[in-house]
Amino acid sequence: MEKLKVRQICFYFMAMMPVAKLLVYPAALAFRAKNCLLFSSLLNSLLEGAVVALVMLLAKKTGKPLFVLLEQRAGKLWAKIAYGAFALYFFASALLPLLEQKNFVLQVLYENASTLLSFAPFFLLSFYACTKGASSMGRIADVALPVFALSFPVLILLALPHADFAALLPLSAVPAREIAKGSLFSANWYTDGAFLLFWLGHFEYEKGAAGKVLGAYAAGTFAVLLFLAVFYAVFADIALRQQNAVAQIAKYTTSFTSLGRVDYLFLFALALVMIFRMCIPVQMCVHCLRRTVGCKPLLPSAAVNLLLLALTVFFNYSFLEVQTLFTQKLWSVFALFAYLLPAAAALLALRRRRSP
Amino acid sequence: MRTDKLWARVFLAAAAVLLLLFFSNDFGLIDIRETAIVVALGIDEAEEGEGYDVTAQIAVPANAGPGSAANVTAKGVRTVSEGIAELNQETGWYPTLVHCRLILLGEALTERNVFDVLGYFLRNEAVEDSCQVAVCAGTARETFGAGSPVNDISASAIIKVLSSEAQKTGLVSVTILKDFAVGYYSVSESGALPYITVKEEAESQGGSAAQAAALPSLVRNKRWRPVREPLPLAAPASAEGGESQGGKSGESKGGGAVFQASETMLFYRGKKAAILTPEETLAYNLAATDTDFAYGNVTAAQDGKEAVCSLQMKIGKKRRSLSFENGMPVFTFTIRAKARVADTDKAAPILNIAKTQIAEESVLRAAEQKFKEELASAAEKAARSGCDLFGIKQRLYRFRHKDYEAFRENILSAAELRYDIRFSGLK
Repeated sequence: MEKLKVRQICFYFMAMMPVAKLLVYPAALAFRAKNCLLFSSLLNSLLEGAVVALVMLLAKKTGKPLFVLLEQRAGKLWAKIAYGAFALYFFASALLPLLEQKNFVLQVLYENASTLLSFAPFFLLSFYACTKGASSMGRIADVALPVFALSFPVLILLALPHADFAALLPLSAVPAREIAKGSLFSANWYTDGAFLLFWLGHFEYEKGAAGKVLGAYAAGTFAVLLFLAVFYAVFADIALRQQNAVAQIAKYTTSFTSLGRVDYLFLFALALVMIFRMCIPVQMCVHCLRRTVGCKPLLPSAAVNLLLLALTVFFNYSFLEVQTLFTQKLWSVFALFAYLLPAAAALLALRRRRSP
Repeated sequence: MRTDKLWARVFLAAAAVLLLLFFSNDFGLIDIRETAIVVALGIDEAEEGEGYDVTAQIAVPANAGPGSAANVTAKGVRTVSEGIAELNQETGWYPTLVHCRLILLGEALTERNVFDVLGYFLRNEAVEDSCQVAVCAGTARETFGAGSPVNDISASAIIKVLSSEAQKTGLVSVTILKDFAVGYYSVSESGALPYITVKEEAESQGGSAAQAAALPSLVRNKRWRPVREPLPLAAPASAEGGESQGGKSGESKGGGAVFQASETMLFYRGKKAAILTPEETLAYNLAATDTDFAYGNVTAAQDGKEAVCSLQMKIGKKRRSLSFENGMPVFTFTIRAKARVADTDKAAPILNIAKTQIAEESVLRAAEQKFKEELASAAEKAARSGCDLFGIKQRLYRFRHKDYEAFRENILSAAELRYDIRFSGLK
């Protein structure tokens, strides 16, 4: 993997991290946590924020890639095993967003009956991105920030006239157990801390980088929380049926009736960012595979993308089944890889470094 | 270098194949001539037996000038979905519901839970939940059959009556599917829909209600009458409409029916609870919806004589609040409005006409009194029928959650209503 810049990591957290949570995530959260969905989301963000902080601390202390750190501490074999496991994790974490995005594109951007073929070109883009290194991720983040900064606030502003924030009350109506469940069952949408772990050593730690990255993470988290609040304020008790949330919140603005759905302009722009965001876990998967197998990126890129394409075809009509499997059955696996393993790896590396 | 060239060629070939697929229409585009553009759906209790009659009003585009519409009814279907499927199956058209802007419910349907049928639209993304929902007197099928001088397509005429502009002036209480569903699935379990009535009194040049009623309306085989009537293909329907209504000359088409939606039907648990009169609808809109500018008549003494004054009202502040006094709930309407006299039914001195912006105190007090009476009447109707029209129960749940269990069953009747309504004129 080539070099990233701290600026690009910040842009990633500000613009690309939130877009992964604008489609099915709000409805999934509302299903469990109802009007207290902000608490569930905040809980996840705090956990992931802690991971981000630990990884940035590690970056400050060592500046070495994770593979090298693991190799030094546990040997090459274990490093490869860890990378192999994370390759599987990144592959799994790419699948559900991929199906989400496919449904979004086919249901929202195409008015009439559309086929999977309309979405298939994504895999070419993803394949191309996978053959490139981290620098492509950085450039994507550079492009994503202005697009997101323009389109996201406009969609929120268009939704505000129809938002009744009192719908978020009462705060005591949902038991803490359901809020925690909402949080745990949505762990598969929180993969960004793990990405940062694998970017270790691929960016140069500069003065104040930890503060900048954490600040960017906080900004991205705020965008997600704002979106969730507006989403629930618009839909209240029927929020859990609103798939493709970002396409739904702004459509009720009647001041633009004569112009039609002007929000589509901004949706298209956000869809662009989403597409690039979706490439990231695939790229990370290929990166981990490469380190495990020790080969050039072409072969794993082709294999991973072909497999994802095949699974997208296979699960074309089974989104709900996959979502249920990932959120209600495999949540512990996702939580392990998203929070515990990165935190454990960072803590271990830090502890070992302190010991003589 | 050689590998780069190879990949460039592979990508070029892939792009060419994708372009070929796109231009050969293999991306699932639908031929517009094969498509039924459903602009409105009407749902009634089945005329015979159990189930529903689902009427689709289908826009028939014309080459030039305004198009017309055909009504197709699937009779005796058990679900709305079955009705739509039958429409597709028996006409061979592909019904796209993305252009459906109105769901009209027959009055008889409101005796049972209307979400028995509206559930289809919540399950199905084919219809945007921003489409309007209304109830009509009689059946939706007959209402769609009424010809309007306002628009050749009756659904479009109804949608004009239910415009957001109408809502802003308080004459109509417009509701979209999303908002109606939010109310139903909330703790209130309540909602309100505009109640459409057809007045067969308007006259228009070159058309009549009878002619409009003869617009192609198809019902097929044992469920759809008449049996084996020709399909409502675009060209014949368009020609028929044009011929019968003198479309060529540019004269006004349509019949003599006008649609009114100034009454509002209240719902509790999906069933009809009560109907608000036009005055109560206006008061409800002024107190609780987006309406901030309205017209209304009051009778007041002006210069020592009784006169009917038409007032223009501009709502400056509207607030509803729930509080507790001595352990009992108190619901307060706070409304501040400015009013000016737009007209009176009596001749007035030129000075009064010149200073029409300044409403007399007696007129303002009369306006306050009338507003209060109508609002109280609407609130009483709602409370009696269990409909949480003003969101009292919802406020109890959201803002006084600890008292919710104690009052959830009787809050509407137990709450004392207070009206803090003040009208002022321009000074």
